[in-house]
Amino acid sequence: MTFRVLDPTTEKAPPAGKLAPRLDTLEGKTVGFISNGKEGTKGFFKHLDQMLREEYGVAKVVSRTKSNYSAPADKRIVDEIKSWDAVVSGLGD
Amino acid sequence: MQLSSKTYDANDISAVQELYHSSGWTDGLPIVPPTADAVQACLEWAMMPPDQLIGIEPVRGLAITAEKLAINAVMAGCLPMHFPVVVTAWMAMMQDEFLMHGATASTGGCAVLVVLNGPIRLELGANGTFNALGNSDRATAVIGRAVRLCLINLMDVRPGVIDRSTLGHPGKYSYCLAEDEEDSSWLPLHEQRGVERAASAVTVMAAGAPRQLMNEWTTKPEEILETFAAEMRANLRHYSIHPGNYALIIPKQLREHLQVAGWTKTKIAEFIHARARIHRREWAEVGKGAVVRDRGDSVYPAMESPDQLLVIAAGGPAGGFGAVIPPWLGNKSHAVTLPLGVCVDCEPPK
Repeated sequence: MTFRVLDPTTEKAPPAGKLAPRLDTLEGKTVGFISNGKEGTKGFFKHLDQMLREEYGVAKVVSRTKSNYSAPADKRIVDEIKSWDAVVSGLGD
Repeated sequence: MQLSSKTYDANDISAVQELYHSSGWTDGLPIVPPTADAVQACLEWAMMPPDQLIGIEPVRGLAITAEKLAINAVMAGCLPMHFPVVVTAWMAMMQDEFLMHGATASTGGCAVLVVLNGPIRLELGANGTFNALGNSDRATAVIGRAVRLCLINLMDVRPGVIDRSTLGHPGKYSYCLAEDEEDSSWLPLHEQRGVERAASAVTVMAAGAPRQLMNEWTTKPEEILETFAAEMRANLRHYSIHPGNYALIIPKQLREHLQVAGWTKTKIAEFIHARARIHRREWAEVGKGAVVRDRGDSVYPAMESPDQLLVIAAGGPAGGFGAVIPPWLGNKSHAVTLPLGVCVDCEPPK
């Protein structure tokens, strides 16, 4: 017996975001961190902050923490992204 | 009725199974082949056109249509009469306060607990007595499974993809139960949560695995409930201090002692709210001293308020058992109760 069966998936990719233009250098740039606020983020971002400034010449690091680590970033943080040259979004698990 | 999903031809039932398993479309168990006839029968029963938008998943913007829910419901073993419950569960899960993406992606590994109330339980033969949290009956088995297959196929909630659970738990195959309203003098859960008693309703909760307890050595309500509160305190100590929706499953033997003594669900919730709380310093007793810091005297209640407790009458007639079902992660997700849709002037779709 032949079965004709249906595809159970959405068949459509979720609406995709678009990557910002890549940077040639981090020298003199502003980099934003979006942390989910979990315990493990503290050491990770502290080290990354130091590395970016000392080794890559980043001018400014802006650190932000989501109000709910299981939900998308708060609107106030997303709105701020425009003023940064690059973003690092990290998990602490 | 015109369906829009892509079709596949398979030579026999084994080929169907291999197609679905190899495509990552199952939970590892065999599925019922979702043929157009079977899917259309579900949609006709629910009087929904295939392209009816059930909702937009709020984080990734995925459109969830009736046709896709029906395909997954058929795969799970649902009959058409089960399908409206699956739709309502999904509508509830897509409410913002449920935080579906977080609850289904989290390393915490919870499952979606689905509780059925009202006449629909009897129409479907859902059994809220023996083995209520296990394989109690066909209806709850397939409805719970359908909710999970929809997550897998409509939201990519596959292990290691969107589902990042460290452990998960067996409820992720199916986690659905019916309240035993006939053998209880309490308000049913849906009425307690603001839905008309005569309506049928579905409650969803992002839930950890059940923690079973036993106390058959007392008839005093305070002592019975102290055992439930102690289990919740254990959860606060060992798992998470975040307050939120907890569910208590109270089978007949313990329930009768409470009901004979005149304890309502509201009174139970008030007692539990007062008793299910710990001091932060208690973490030091269970290996978590590093996070006590200087806040050892802070008190952490299991719920922010008594109405966060879902008290559910269910379970077999004998045995002094009960269960506490803890939240995934406190208030990050809230339980949602929705009545099953009633349409007084709908016509079946063409």
